[in-house]
Amino acid sequence: MFQVTRNINKCLSTTTLKYSSTMPRASEIDTEKDDFKPLNLRQVKGHQFVKRPMRKMEVLTPRTEQMPVDQDWGSVWPGPRSFQPNTVPLPVRQGYVKKGAAVPHKYGNAELMKIPNFLHLTPPVIKRQCEALKKFCTPWPKALDTDEKCQEHFPIEVATSSYCHSSPSIRDPLSRIVTVNIKLSSLKLDKHAKDKFLRLVGERYDENTDIVTITTDRCPTRKQNYDYAMYLVTALYHESWIVEEWEKLKSEADMEYYDWNKSKSKTSIEEMFGKKSNEVPHIEQYSNALNNLMNDGENEYNIAKYGDAVRKLLQLPQLSEISK
Amino acid sequence: MTLSLTKNVICALKIQPVIHRFLYTTPQLLKSQAGRYRKTAKGDLPLTYEMANPPHMIAHRKTWNSWNTSNIDGGLRSSEIAVEDMFVRKFMTGTWHALFVSEIIIKRQHNIIRIAGIIRRSISARKMYFLIGYTEELLSFWLQCPVKLELQTVKDKKDVIFKYV
Repeated sequence: MFQVTRNINKCLSTTTLKYSSTMPRASEIDTEKDDFKPLNLRQVKGHQFVKRPMRKMEVLTPRTEQMPVDQDWGSVWPGPRSFQPNTVPLPVRQGYVKKGAAVPHKYGNAELMKIPNFLHLTPPVIKRQCEALKKFCTPWPKALDTDEKCQEHFPIEVATSSYCHSSPSIRDPLSRIVTVNIKLSSLKLDKHAKDKFLRLVGERYDENTDIVTITTDRCPTRKQNYDYAMYLVTALYHESWIVEEWEKLKSEADMEYYDWNKSKSKTSIEEMFGKKSNEVPHIEQYSNALNNLMNDGENEYNIAKYGDAVRKLLQLPQLSEISK
Repeated sequence: MTLSLTKNVICALKIQPVIHRFLYTTPQLLKSQAGRYRKTAKGDLPLTYEMANPPHMIAHRKTWNSWNTSNIDGGLRSSEIAVEDMFVRKFMTGTWHALFVSEIIIKRQHNIIRIAGIIRRSISARKMYFLIGYTEELLSFWLQCPVKLELQTVKDKKDVIFKYV
């Protein structure tokens, strides 16, 4: 093997000599090096690989060091962005360390990049944005200066929800739900209509606040649900004004509360005394006591009152007088 | 012939029901190992801040790497977002090969996806600009959302090391 390489070297050297005769420059080089470099198949000592030095990348100084003190921060950081230590001229630090150790600084700190920051919403920027939005705003109507007036002129309150998700779709099935609040006193209803309205509405009426709440979610879009809610309100109102034929057949047993003026008790008293009920002495006390007893239920107080009223009506001695 | 044979086999199986009781009396090894790094003999294993804090320290000492609304009450697309995030992480580590020295942070706001992280300055700025454009273009095409890359560079790997164990 070695011999072969030697032979090759010899051959090569002879050829170079030939060339050297024609090219004086090459001969000069040859004289400097004496010979060609041997073909070094194995890594043998003496053969040195000159490593090319890595080209150094120029890194600019951080932007924070070139910033003037009175710069406009809103144009440096115009929108929401992850934290960038070379742009933010604040000596912030974040991280949990053992007691006494230094908290990690802002350079190469991933924790600072994770958390949302509000560097784009500094007070002067908010002020500027509000100023820019002002031209799109209209003044509040002067006539509606109190809440009572607002409720009077706008008795229907419509509530819907919009949802912001971090997803490519802006749709949310929950945004279809529409809630309509109406104050019952704002509707023009007589005694019968109100009674019927409340029966139709059922649990949707709140006695304490006098508000009827209608929630619609059966249609796929908000617009459809709103239209349906408005239809329901209209239908309820007109339906409650209708008096059906069979409603006249309402008897004492169908009444939702006991009314003495329409009761059989009144007619029997008129029969007993042989005159109109309002002419009978102590009749008011009696009717009230009976109303309370029937509507509030039997309790000791109501029964005692009823007893007293009956004794007075029939001019019987009171219990306290008998015990004496 | 074969049918009758199989019938017989089935009958035999029916006659002899096999009763096994898989009851283990060994106590469970309730050891949490994921995301934790053991001490080395030489104490020369470099850890970043993220690695130095185990998973149960999330929301105490460190934050989540994915920020989105899919896992809150009533959130939508939770599975899709989880898969997409995993895909983005794989794509980023592959495209920016051996350049990331931190975890890849994916923040979503409405339909914008912002990918943040810390990379080494081992490639030229020109290549980096190309990779930024390439990543943003491809990811926004696949995910059908605007994608923004917000990178921070450090000189060396050692700049992000928090401690050695």
